[in-house]
Amino acid sequence: MKFSVRWMGASVLAMASLGAQAADPIKIGVSGPFTGGSSSMGVSMRDGVRLAAQEINAAGGVLGRQIQLVERDDEAKNERGVQIAQELINREKVAATVGFINTGVALAAQRFYQDAKIPVMNNVATGSVITQQFKDAPDNYVFRNAAHDSIQAPMIVEEAVGRRGFKKVAILADSTNYGQLGRADLEKALELKGIKPVAVEKFNIKDVDMTAQLLKAKEAGAEAILTYGIGPELAQIANGMTKLGWKVPMIGSWTLSMANYIDNAGPGGEGARMPQTFIQEPTTPKRQSFIVSYLKTFNPKNSRIDSPVSAAQGYDSIYLLAAAIKQAGSTEGPKVKAALEDLKTPVEGVVTTYNKPFSKADHEAITANIPVFGEVKGQRVVYAYPEDFKKASEVRVKDVNAKGALTQKK
Amino acid sequence: MQILTQLVFSGIALGMIYAVIAFGYQLTFSTSDTLNFGQGDALMLGALVGLTLVGLGVNYWLMIPLVCLFGALQGAFVERIGVRPAIKIKSEFGWIMSTIALGIIFKNVAENVWGRDDLKFPSPLPEAPLKFLGANVLPMEILVVVGALAMMLAVELFNRRSIYGRAVVATFNDRDAAKLMGINTGLVITFSYALSSLTAAFAGVLIAPLTLTGATMGAVLGLKAFAVAIIGGLTSGMGIVVGGIILGIAETTTGFYLSTGYKDVPGLVLLLIVLALKPAGLFGKTAIKKV
Repeated sequence: MKFSVRWMGASVLAMASLGAQAADPIKIGVSGPFTGGSSSMGVSMRDGVRLAAQEINAAGGVLGRQIQLVERDDEAKNERGVQIAQELINREKVAATVGFINTGVALAAQRFYQDAKIPVMNNVATGSVITQQFKDAPDNYVFRNAAHDSIQAPMIVEEAVGRRGFKKVAILADSTNYGQLGRADLEKALELKGIKPVAVEKFNIKDVDMTAQLLKAKEAGAEAILTYGIGPELAQIANGMTKLGWKVPMIGSWTLSMANYIDNAGPGGEGARMPQTFIQEPTTPKRQSFIVSYLKTFNPKNSRIDSPVSAAQGYDSIYLLAAAIKQAGSTEGPKVKAALEDLKTPVEGVVTTYNKPFSKADHEAITANIPVFGEVKGQRVVYAYPEDFKKASEVRVKDVNAKGALTQKK
Repeated sequence: MQILTQLVFSGIALGMIYAVIAFGYQLTFSTSDTLNFGQGDALMLGALVGLTLVGLGVNYWLMIPLVCLFGALQGAFVERIGVRPAIKIKSEFGWIMSTIALGIIFKNVAENVWGRDDLKFPSPLPEAPLKFLGANVLPMEILVVVGALAMMLAVELFNRRSIYGRAVVATFNDRDAAKLMGINTGLVITFSYALSSLTAAFAGVLIAPLTLTGATMGAVLGLKAFAVAIIGGLTSGMGIVVGGIILGIAETTTGFYLSTGYKDVPGLVLLLIVLALKPAGLFGKTAIKKV
């Protein structure tokens, strides 16, 4: 019975944030892990979503109606995600859902939205297959505004091999859907460079000892470690390297920016690099106001957003949906979907300005030219390259012709 | 060679983590023929209580006895609530469900008190590794091995030398006869549960700087420790240490020489082999059950 109690708690919260004038609000589902190993992403995403909904509601809502968030903790568990999807669709009758931090949960749960013809906006999960799951269906209700792995993996490889000239790299990936799909993407990207990783190792969630994996990489002569995992285990990798007295650069997916990596790895985690769609720097007026109101509203530890990327993408996902609902003049799934695929007015977000972000055939708002490299420095994520920081005020907009980091540079 | 040394060292440190938890299984088994399946959760509670105390500004070394006290109370609670009723009605299996249930309850409570995130436990010793026989060892790993051995030795000495310890041993050998001899066997069993949770809580704060601390940390460790207890033999303290080290080294070496994907397999294969060939464990005494 603990579920129903939590559900009630979440709805009460959602309603409290909404105020009294809840006459026929637009319900939007929010599904993500608010507890557990992925929670720094989930909670930041949820807070970004809350912030956007608050702002929209304060400005009069959408179509004259308020947005009501229906938040559910999927605990990063596939089966919970499925239950939540069914509840949000059948009982809460949401107009759309945002969320999914974990690729596995997204793949398990979004088919229910597809069947119910309700748009779902993945704002964090990065598995490349997510938007492809229903690509053969006549209508695809799965959208995303996150940098998917087919963008990230080539960027990681370009950073390691192209920019920094490492010839021998090892891959360490966790045994979840996320880690293994990412590993496959990394191997593909390395192959394009004509490089075979010197070691490809696996680890499990909650593993406490990484000696075997790291020793294999070390013995194979790895000059850098490419990672695909989440915060706590990535921290164990960094700690394991400290223990072995072997320090090579860690370059990996964007999860290296998670607070529970940075905090648990401590000084050993410094210097890790990862692709980021958003770095907590006030480089544009929009970003500045987002950061200021986020810090004011949620007051995170050390004025550091736990996962800035999740917060920014979560925030943007609500504005994208609101724009589509406004354009459609309706909350009916097929109409909102059609509007998303043909957004007439640009949406100014934190990550980028979304100008025609989606089309019938392309449900990815983020293209390869948008993410930049972040680096862990002084317990927070900063721009890895000063030239990116200098140019950060120029908003990188979607470019469907960007072919990814590999072909772009060569 | 250097690699093997490194793997063995890491394996020993890992194995001692398992052994010190397994030791708790052995303590209760030896007095009451029952096990606390919530042993992993006792460890988790110890670590989290320790973390809170350290967070409140209590010195690491001062915090240890406080956590031990907490562990002892927690163990006595488990025995009173979950195990004693089962023993009283001579139920063969009631205690299994009740200790598992209490473990789940403790985990849920911990999730609500400390959250479900993994937290970092500040290390009391420097985090820079030491060179030893060409391999790297963390000072904290040495502390885990030394601390675990010291604790087990202390408990063994207590059982062998003191009059209370003799009561424990007598209760193990024949509970009914011990009772007739005037030993308060109920108290002895409560005591052994308190002691076993105490060791788990102690293990928790000992290993927490190496692993991350969190409400779910007990599950995997508790299960591996159970395998260790079976491999080493539930009646032998010595067997527990050897079993732990065997499992730890098996994991690290398989990870390196075979594949990290199969890291957990050899330990379980070993468990199956031991069960097939020597069910009482490598060092266990075969109990003769008269019917």
